[in-house]
Amino acid sequence: MVLKVHGLTEKWNLKSVIGYTDTETVKLDFDNTPFKAVRYWALRTMKWFKLEGFIILKSSKDNYHVVFDRKVSWAENMRIVAWVSLLSHNGMLEKWFVMQCIKRGSTLRMSSKEDKPSPRIVFRYGDQDNQINDFLKYRKIIRNIIKKLPRISESSIDRSELIVA
Amino acid sequence: MTKKIAVYGTFMAKVPVKQRYWKRRRDGIRQRYWKKTTRMKSVEKRGRYEFHGKGKHLYRAVVKAHQLMPKGFVDVSAKEFLEHPERYGSEGSWIDRKVES
Repeated sequence: MVLKVHGLTEKWNLKSVIGYTDTETVKLDFDNTPFKAVRYWALRTMKWFKLEGFIILKSSKDNYHVVFDRKVSWAENMRIVAWVSLLSHNGMLEKWFVMQCIKRGSTLRMSSKEDKPSPRIVFRYGDQDNQINDFLKYRKIIRNIIKKLPRISESSIDRSELIVA
Repeated sequence: MTKKIAVYGTFMAKVPVKQRYWKRRRDGIRQRYWKKTTRMKSVEKRGRYEFHGKGKHLYRAVVKAHQLMPKGFVDVSAKEFLEHPERYGSEGSWIDRKVES
């Protein structure tokens, strides 16, 4: 069952986006995909590649992120993402996959963006002790940074001190 | 590989206006050159910081990244960025635009 996501009205007033990047965690970005399809692909991928567990985060309506628990190499990571994007016929996931290959590191958004709130966990399955635990630790760090940022932006910072031409 | 915090988006950067000029070469060909003027103009750019390091450095680096726009794709340790921010960023302001992760 999909949990109703509360607190999505809270938005970050800053314009840049903060995300989490690494190479050892298998991550998927499903855009314009219903929750049931996301859960189906997450379960199928987890079982096929023995990824031990996963979490699904809702980033906005019909947009979900999936994070898996097992630590993998970069080559295996991209192999898994390529497998999902090919079989699911999801054009947006394919585009995301190509972009991650170019950057050589996969990124998922953690702050709000434009009118979208920050992603919230809506589903958990299997083990959560390895990569998911690290992911959630970084999520906490980023959330703490974001909480403190508006106060800093409101306070009178002398920009000339920060900007060195 | 280390885990990183990415700060990315679209921003308005100030870049020097370039002016073209021609110069006749010794072989007779008139070649076009560009020179930087002192005038500045605002242009829309995309950039990205990728920070790694300890929590307190990450926090300070993200705060600074809010004020300094990245010079392209910047993959740097948060501590190094805090020591020499001018190497990795320049003046500008983030703007709301659609951006991919």
